[in-house]
Amino acid sequence: MSIRLQLLIVALSTLVLPWAGCQYARELETALRGSQERSLLASAGTIANALSAQPQRVFHDTADKDLFSAAAGDLYVFPLSTQPLLDGYREDWDIAADPTALPSATGYRARLQAGATEHYLYLYIEVDDRHFDAEPNDPQPDKDRFDRINMTLQNPDGTATAYFFATDAPGLIAAQTLLKSDDGSLRVAVEPRIQAFWLQTAAGYRLEARIPLSFVGRHLWIEAADGSSKGRAGVAADTQGGRLFFATAGLDTLLATFIRDGTRVTVIDDNSLKLGLAGSLNAAPPGEAAQSTWYRYLLGSNSENLPTVSSSPDHMSGEPVRAALEGRAHAQWALSGSARELLLTAAAPIIVDGRTLGAVVLQQAGDQLLALRDDALTRLLNLTLVAIAAAALVMLGFATWISVRLGRLRGAADSAVGNDGKIRLEMPESGRGDEIGALARAFESLLSRLNEHTQYLRTLGGKLSHELRTPLTIVRSSLDNLESEGLRDDQLRYIVRAREGTARLQSILSALGAAARVEESIKQAERVSFDLRALISSAVAAYRDGFPGAQIVLDVPDDACFIRGAPDLMVQLLDKLIENAVDFCPPGGAITVRLGRTPANYSLQVSNDGPLIPEALLGHLFESMFEQRQGRDDKPHFGLGLYIVRLVAEFHGGSAAAANRADGGGVVFTIMLPMI
Amino acid sequence: MATRKGAGSAGLPWAMIPFMKKQIAIVEDEPALRDNYAAALARQGYLIKTYGNRSAAMQAFHTRLPDLAIIDISLEDEAEGGFDLCRELRAASAELPIIFLTARDSELDAVSGLRLGADDFITKDVSLPHLAARVAALFRRIDALRLPANAAEIIRRGALSIDGDKMQTTWNASPVVLSLTEFWIVHALARNPGHVKNRQQLMDAANVVLDDNTITSHIKRVRRKFQQIDPKFDAIQTVYGMGYRWVE
Repeated sequence: MSIRLQLLIVALSTLVLPWAGCQYARELETALRGSQERSLLASAGTIANALSAQPQRVFHDTADKDLFSAAAGDLYVFPLSTQPLLDGYREDWDIAADPTALPSATGYRARLQAGATEHYLYLYIEVDDRHFDAEPNDPQPDKDRFDRINMTLQNPDGTATAYFFATDAPGLIAAQTLLKSDDGSLRVAVEPRIQAFWLQTAAGYRLEARIPLSFVGRHLWIEAADGSSKGRAGVAADTQGGRLFFATAGLDTLLATFIRDGTRVTVIDDNSLKLGLAGSLNAAPPGEAAQSTWYRYLLGSNSENLPTVSSSPDHMSGEPVRAALEGRAHAQWALSGSARELLLTAAAPIIVDGRTLGAVVLQQAGDQLLALRDDALTRLLNLTLVAIAAAALVMLGFATWISVRLGRLRGAADSAVGNDGKIRLEMPESGRGDEIGALARAFESLLSRLNEHTQYLRTLGGKLSHELRTPLTIVRSSLDNLESEGLRDDQLRYIVRAREGTARLQSILSALGAAARVEESIKQAERVSFDLRALISSAVAAYRDGFPGAQIVLDVPDDACFIRGAPDLMVQLLDKLIENAVDFCPPGGAITVRLGRTPANYSLQVSNDGPLIPEALLGHLFESMFEQRQGRDDKPHFGLGLYIVRLVAEFHGGSAAAANRADGGGVVFTIMLPMI
Repeated sequence: MATRKGAGSAGLPWAMIPFMKKQIAIVEDEPALRDNYAAALARQGYLIKTYGNRSAAMQAFHTRLPDLAIIDISLEDEAEGGFDLCRELRAASAELPIIFLTARDSELDAVSGLRLGADDFITKDVSLPHLAARVAALFRRIDALRLPANAAEIIRRGALSIDGDKMQTTWNASPVVLSLTEFWIVHALARNPGHVKNRQQLMDAANVVLDDNTITSHIKRVRRKFQQIDPKFDAIQTVYGMGYRWVE
């Protein structure tokens, strides 16, 4: 794995920064929520205390301890903000809740909803009755069968009046009541102050009625009766049910004085029914929320496991409400509605005389908080992403730089020891003060020590030969002197042997020193241009004379081949190649000298039919003092011949190579020499 | 060649002409070698003085110059003491024959030595008889210069004239100053013009053991010396793979 990749992976660790940022943001959010909870709870407590000081402004009837029961016909009266039109449609009531079904023993289905403005009580009744039984002209409710809505109204004074709504033609009607005549008979009288609109629909009929509040006491019993069957739905008059639960008049105004923007306060009674409410929740601008959703999606939200609350127009529900009605103040975060907006609900009980009569419920949207968090997170994420990208880029650049430097160093180290054995002491990067610079300097010092050693080895032969020459000369000159003293023949025999020994020593020593001398003389050689073909032809002619036992084949081009160099050295090169070939060519084998052309070079090939060279040795043949093969004579071989060949080839800007012939029958030496 | 060697070892009749023995100074820091050389040359009838270092030699030379000086290049702690000595001797006498006899065989040392005015440059590889022959030859040359020319010993090849006795070479009557080795190379080539002499033959003629490269550089130097007199000189021809020949 390259350093660049490694550093890039290390750079990935900076991703921990946005993670930490998110963790921090979450903690921040939790802390903010906690503080918001506390402050809302405190507000709810304050309002509850204020309200419990004046219960009459909040509750209608503090004595009634029975709980609200829809089954018993209890009815919650929604406060209406506008005066609805009497038209049989309740859309203008602007109430989200559906009408509640009336209890029925017969399966006759009817639904009821009540609402109140400042002066009127409105009733809305839906009856599922596909068969319309019209009211006769002179109705006898006891006997006649027709579709009607019976309504018994408890007057404020406690007396009750029975009314019924029926019509022979749908439209605006008035309530009718049965008055007892003086003769005891009942007659139908119209009460024009209670108006209603009868609307016939495909499923049945609807009735929207308006009753002045001055008629209305604590109870109202409603019953829908079918004319053609015994179908009934509703509650009979004079039961304990049928209570009306009004929102407290003026409470909204009172509550409005307690709260700030963005907070909704609701006061409920012990039935959780809403007595009054004020304020509204601020909805977050939708675009902003949408923009931050992917962050939320990416990071996960700690709102996910919150309970979901649904709002109802008539009553409050949820854990805080339940707790408050049990006498404990409580706050809870929840998600409300289908938009799943974050909502904080805090409820505090309103306690009067030790009894929990109701609760104050404060609600605040968490969207602001969420928006705050998202905003912070977005900025944090953007910043850290930019920072990470910048850091990664910087690291990448840095890694590339390091890579390039190391690559340079490696390249220099690779080529520090050239093919010619020369050592380059200069290393790149050695001027730098860092570890790579130190590495480069270490390389340099290593190379310089290596160079010293190589120089030492290179000159060792010369030095040895030089140092040994004087003692050898002493021996030889002593032998010369001894011989001149006039020795007997048997003594002379030993002198001769000693001389042979010194002669061999002599030749070894001169071979040892020869490399240095050859290099020196090559350095001093002068360059002229000369015809290689003529030189080779004349030299080969001489070799044929010089080595009568060898069969030398010459193959040269027809025209002159000029190169620039030293003819004397070139002859030496040929000498060495031919000597080598003669040494190793078996008797009867042929030595071929071939001069050819490549686009830029002349190639001089000398091949012989001698034994093959092991592949591993091919590259070393041209090194100084390398000797791998036993020649056919007993002369000491120090491998200088092919070293001289290489030196001369390099002097001419060319190269020398050895290879086993493709046919496996011998060895070929190839010298490439550049054309002029 | 045989005659020359014979002359060297046969008592040197021409060396006896002066009544006094020839005095040879050997400056060599290796005592064993010095004594061996001294013994060998003393056997040839020379009077030998030996010195171990430059200052001792110079001190003696101030009193009396020898007839011939054999000097090693490195003398005790002076790596190039021989060169300095040669320079001083040459300053003291222009004619005094000086031979470098040294273990140093590099081209550069030989050229330096000869440039400083040495008459010959011999490596310590030579045998004592060869050394004696060289010394004798050098004395012969000196002595011959003082004698009338013996026409029989003179070889003439066109513009070249070689006086074998005096070991003098002239080209177009201008003297060519050659060292002894060079003289013998030219002599060997010019005696049989047109005949190719290979390097070994030239070495034998010069009585030296040299490697091929040194012969090549000797030839080069000889050519250059002739070309200083006559830029068109090209009488020594290289025969590739064989050697050299003299062409007229």
